[in-house]
Amino acid sequence: MIIEIGHFSVVIAFVLSVFGLVSSGLALRTRNADWVRVGRMALTLIFVLLAVGMAALIYSFLARDFSVNYVAANSNSQLPLFYTIAAVWGGHEGSLLLWVFILSTFSTIAVWLHWRTQPAIMPYLIGMECLVIMGFLLLILFLSSPFDRLIPAPPDGKDLNPLLQDPAMVMHPPMLYMGYVGFSIPFSFAMAALFSGRLGEEWIKVTQRWTIFAWICLTTGILLGGYWAYYELGWGGYWGWDPVENASFMPWLVGTAFLHSVMVQEKRKMFKVWNLFLIIVTFSLSLIGTFLVRSGVLTSVHTFATDPERGLYILIFVTMIIGLAFGSLILRAHKLKSQIEMDSMVSRESVFLFNNLFFLVAAATVFLGTLYPLMIETWQGAKVTVGPPYYNTVFMPIALGLLFLMGVGPYIPWRKASHASLKKNFLIPVGVGVVSTVVLFALGIHSLFALAGAFVVGFSGAAILIDVGKISSLYARRESVNLLKGFLSAFTANQRRYAGLVTHVGVLVLVIGIIASTVYQTEKVVSLRVGDEFVIDDYRMKLERIHDVRGKNWSAQEGVFELYEGDALLTTLRPQKRVYDASQTPTTESAIYAKNMGHIFLTMPDVSADGVAVARGVINPLILWVWGGGGIMGLGVLLNIFRPRKRDE
Amino acid sequence: MTRTTQITILVVLFALLALFYQGLWGDPRHIPPVLVDTPAPVFKGPNVESGELLSSERYKGKVIVVNFWASWCQECKVEHENLLRLYDEFKDHPEFVMLGINYQDEIPKARAYLQRYGSSFPHMQDVKGALAIDFGVYGVPETFVIDKQGIIRHKWIGPIVDNVYTNLTKNVLTPLLQRADTQVRPYDSTT
Amino acid sequence: MFRLFPILIVLCFVSPIAGMAKVVDETEIDQQVREIAKTLRCTVCQTENIWESGAPLAHQMRDAIRERVMQGQSAEEIRTYFFSRYGDYIMMEPPKQGINWLIWLAPFLLLFGGGALLWREVKGWVTRTPAPQPPPTLDAASRRRIEQELHQNK
Repeated sequence: MIIEIGHFSVVIAFVLSVFGLVSSGLALRTRNADWVRVGRMALTLIFVLLAVGMAALIYSFLARDFSVNYVAANSNSQLPLFYTIAAVWGGHEGSLLLWVFILSTFSTIAVWLHWRTQPAIMPYLIGMECLVIMGFLLLILFLSSPFDRLIPAPPDGKDLNPLLQDPAMVMHPPMLYMGYVGFSIPFSFAMAALFSGRLGEEWIKVTQRWTIFAWICLTTGILLGGYWAYYELGWGGYWGWDPVENASFMPWLVGTAFLHSVMVQEKRKMFKVWNLFLIIVTFSLSLIGTFLVRSGVLTSVHTFATDPERGLYILIFVTMIIGLAFGSLILRAHKLKSQIEMDSMVSRESVFLFNNLFFLVAAATVFLGTLYPLMIETWQGAKVTVGPPYYNTVFMPIALGLLFLMGVGPYIPWRKASHASLKKNFLIPVGVGVVSTVVLFALGIHSLFALAGAFVVGFSGAAILIDVGKISSLYARRESVNLLKGFLSAFTANQRRYAGLVTHVGVLVLVIGIIASTVYQTEKVVSLRVGDEFVIDDYRMKLERIHDVRGKNWSAQEGVFELYEGDALLTTLRPQKRVYDASQTPTTESAIYAKNMGHIFLTMPDVSADGVAVARGVINPLILWVWGGGGIMGLGVLLNIFRPRKRDE
Repeated sequence: MTRTTQITILVVLFALLALFYQGLWGDPRHIPPVLVDTPAPVFKGPNVESGELLSSERYKGKVIVVNFWASWCQECKVEHENLLRLYDEFKDHPEFVMLGINYQDEIPKARAYLQRYGSSFPHMQDVKGALAIDFGVYGVPETFVIDKQGIIRHKWIGPIVDNVYTNLTKNVLTPLLQRADTQVRPYDSTT
Repeated sequence: MFRLFPILIVLCFVSPIAGMAKVVDETEIDQQVREIAKTLRCTVCQTENIWESGAPLAHQMRDAIRERVMQGQSAEEIRTYFFSRYGDYIMMEPPKQGINWLIWLAPFLLLFGGGALLWREVKGWVTRTPAPQPPPTLDAASRRRIEQELHQNK
């Protein structure tokens, strides 16, 4: 009964989305503000109804109603409560419902939030959001319904894929979707700007916080995905350049370009078309990502079940939205001719342009790499693999270039940088970069990646430190306070800039973590019996015993390893080889010990019948910096979003 | 925005969508066999049921149908009946040989499987899967047809059912068996 | 003889632990197998190499690699063998040949081509932008006045 209520609500929501679309059209035709109000009502009701739909689905999971097909396919009576919630978005249908629910939430918030200040934008915003919601609801209702009954009901469900039974997986999809969907707000504003001809800087200022919010959600989602892969897949890596990972990375790259490029328009009123182009590409890539993941065009560890009919529908829908966006951009671009004034090649403006170039080339590389197998198959009927070695090779120079620009950008003035200011600002950072490269080389590190990384990180880090030092002492002197207080008042006085720099610091920390943990990872795989031990790096691991353990919905063989550094016992590591009851799927559970910001990572992939265990030890130096860097980036974004409003905003 | 930029955007978008549309109808799990039209690997191994040694040496100059299967494989059960039918259809031809290769399996289970579902042609063990890799196999069932010259002429991934069966017997096996022996290249004279 | 008996008993109990426990380590062969396995794709998995994959086929492929390493084959020979069985698909990166150069070079072509275009475009903008008016030079009198006012404001 409950699930039917949910189903019915979603049907009504679909009708209302058509209604909202029509009413926003009427609002534009008749110029009657009442229609806009009707549209707002429709959108708000859609949000409420989809909330009911979500609640009904969640309820069915919690009540373990296996007569609901989706519940039976993705959960089981033994599934722990925590993962039962995650199971709601563990499959294609439910995750799609979550997608559109988040979309309706965001658009409702946006409409109410900007109602007073942006009345002219409203009909476009409501229309655009209703269109996207309509498309997805159509897909849910006709081709991917999570509300279908399964008669007769099976006694028990099939269980959630054991790999997805992980805390990070509970939060990963919602964060990712909040990122994808969050970009729909600046996208809708951009479309409104295009249609209405109000092509000033307004839409960019209004959506700046939305953009950065969407960006951090996407960033968090991607990092959580990496965290999940790291803990759950058991090979000690966090990024596999898998098509689905790439699908989330592409909008991130272009979104980041957009995030930077809008600053030029705000400050200098240039590149209007370019910014519209970037946000359209960002949101299009979110949609294309959805298509790629759900149509079965590309196979990946994460792809949902494939179905050409569903894929065709998504393709038609995505084509419509993208066609509408690019079509109107092309038709209206001539109205947007902005006066471009560039005083010098060496200026903040041009650094931003090159930043954009690098981001777009990075995105194009990922795009090409992801689609190349499909192209080759279509043209030549052959199959190729584009795996991590490819990306690691071609992506590295692009990423280093970006990091370098990240160090340069904030210290080049708008309009024109004089020779003297360049020297003043960059002499010390270049020196620091060179010194850190030399020091690393002297320490016996010869990887080109690490050395180039050291230069770039040293350079960018020093530039930021010098900036912060200077401005803090300036404020300290001016207000006759100590350096820390000076720093705080400098920070609050220019919070947007310094929040941005905090995010940059986060990126540097993240990059150090990535370089250290990829280039200096040590790995060892040995076969051993109880009582045997093996040495990895400075550590010694001794297999004490192997015993059976039992969880709520799984049983496992657990290896008990004592971890020594020298003769000192650090901890006991307990990697498991689990088999989940319902699906009989085996998984490898890693055991991790954190030391010196790095990890000692141990898995036990195999235990033979005669008691020989295979143990896989991995030392990942500085891996905590990867997540730590992500955290600092998030802090920077929070400081940006919750900055005190200035008069000109 | 210049005309060229506009056209470029449109062309790129159109090409992409066309590619996606094409991609929808492809089977992402299908891998084109590279071994077709190359010499078949040599093989040697014990018979699953009798333990007697089987080897490719023995089948020289014959058309061989090689089928990889396992007792844990569901699709193999689907095609098994057709394999028996196929063997029955051609077994009287003097140049026809059929060989099952039991892949990644436990011998008792494989024997039980054959007892239950029937066995007419010989089956060879490939417990370690080394032969499967030689044949470029990545899952069971897979079926190969090797001609009299020892060249792989056909590969099918998945069960032999319906049209696949008809195609295999009519378009692949019959012509290969009918081909005159004179076509056999006298390769021993060249060495 | 009988005096040895207690010692034998002790040995019986001790030796399975003391005698068999040992420090195990990877051999050179293990390392070679890993290096090779990391460059080959597990054909039944998706974008996972056969080193990291838990699939049975990946397991067999690792065994096949090990066997060939022990026979003294070089990494290149082993890769060629797998390539001859499974084609391009088994390599974790597209082989640098023929049409595949497209994907290897595209990022750099885009970067340099785009960079050159952008450079030209920006240069054009710079030349078309009128040089900014230099700020009028201050005569000594006004400078003094400004400084005075600044001082008073403090």
